[in-house]
Amino acid sequence: MPRNVMILGCGRVGAMVAKALVAEGDDVIVVDLDADNFRRLAEGPNLHMVVADGTYNDELRRCGIEGVDAFISLTAQDTVNALAAQAAQLSFGVASVVCRINDPIRRAMYDELGLRTVSPPQVMTDLVLEALGS
Amino acid sequence: MFVIVVGCGKIGYHLSRALLASDHEVVILERDSRRAARATEDLGSIVISSDGTEPTVLSEAGAARCQLLIATTGQDATNLVACQVGKHSFHVPQTIAVVTDQDHVELFKRLGVDVTISTTELILSHIKEEMPGGPLIHLLPIQGASNGIVCVRVPAGSPAIGRSRAQLGLPVGTSLAAVVAKNGEIKSVGENFQLEQDDEVVAITPPDKETLLWKALTGGA
Repeated sequence: MPRNVMILGCGRVGAMVAKALVAEGDDVIVVDLDADNFRRLAEGPNLHMVVADGTYNDELRRCGIEGVDAFISLTAQDTVNALAAQAAQLSFGVASVVCRINDPIRRAMYDELGLRTVSPPQVMTDLVLEALGS
Repeated sequence: MFVIVVGCGKIGYHLSRALLASDHEVVILERDSRRAARATEDLGSIVISSDGTEPTVLSEAGAARCQLLIATTGQDATNLVACQVGKHSFHVPQTIAVVTDQDHVELFKRLGVDVTISTTELILSHIKEEMPGGPLIHLLPIQGASNGIVCVRVPAGSPAIGRSRAQLGLPVGTSLAAVVAKNGEIKSVGENFQLEQDDEVVAITPPDKETLLWKALTGGA
């Protein structure tokens, strides 16, 4: 069944995740503070882009967070991702929340606090080591 | 007390000064190097020019032995993460965050921040308490904003004092929802009702009747 997904942050990662989810048949809303970042995507029937500040609950509401099944925060800033993801989880009760946290120490903390986190430096490191065959 | 202040904008700077003046030990974390340099000039070498949401920075600042962490930046996200890292990674007993988004007051509390200070809420409550004559405060728009719930405090000298509901001359289309006395008691707006000084009147009114309603309750011009 197609999911309604909101992605905060339309950098390279956010844009790629958006495309991948649309290809899987999901309905995706991408939110970014900077309209320039939307150049990475093309608006379609299942892909919508909204300029908004995801660190305000009212803005998230305006973007339609109340109807989503999943929320993914993928901006370059850990603080913004942590706030928006926790707001999605607690203020809006979004069922599935994924949060990018770059800093490994903070990442461990948020894992303990019950967020599902992804850490690009960690993922890169694992892949590089794997490519080296170690 | 040993206090870590995250952010040295206007709030952080003046707060730190006040804390130092009352003999507290203060370390300030300010990411912006120019701001940090200015604060160092004024307050001495108690400023670390680094990001107060980074665990390594907080560790270096002595978070493990600090009794209070106050996050004062203009960004709710920064303030939340600084408090969460302080609380969970360094067991800081008391964390305080300034918030701009009023919706975050509740969220931050649930996330373990001990005290949240909403600057908007603070200023609003001051306006409510300090303004002579009292403003009309918009509490909530209802029915697609065709009506609103508003609150007006009856000031000293208002002609409305001592009047019953019928004598108030409320504009047509408005309705008293509740009257709360100064002591917090909710007054019943029945036959024996008389308005007193400092009563808070909660009323429902269309926007174009607000001024008339306000005049009827405050006598203001």
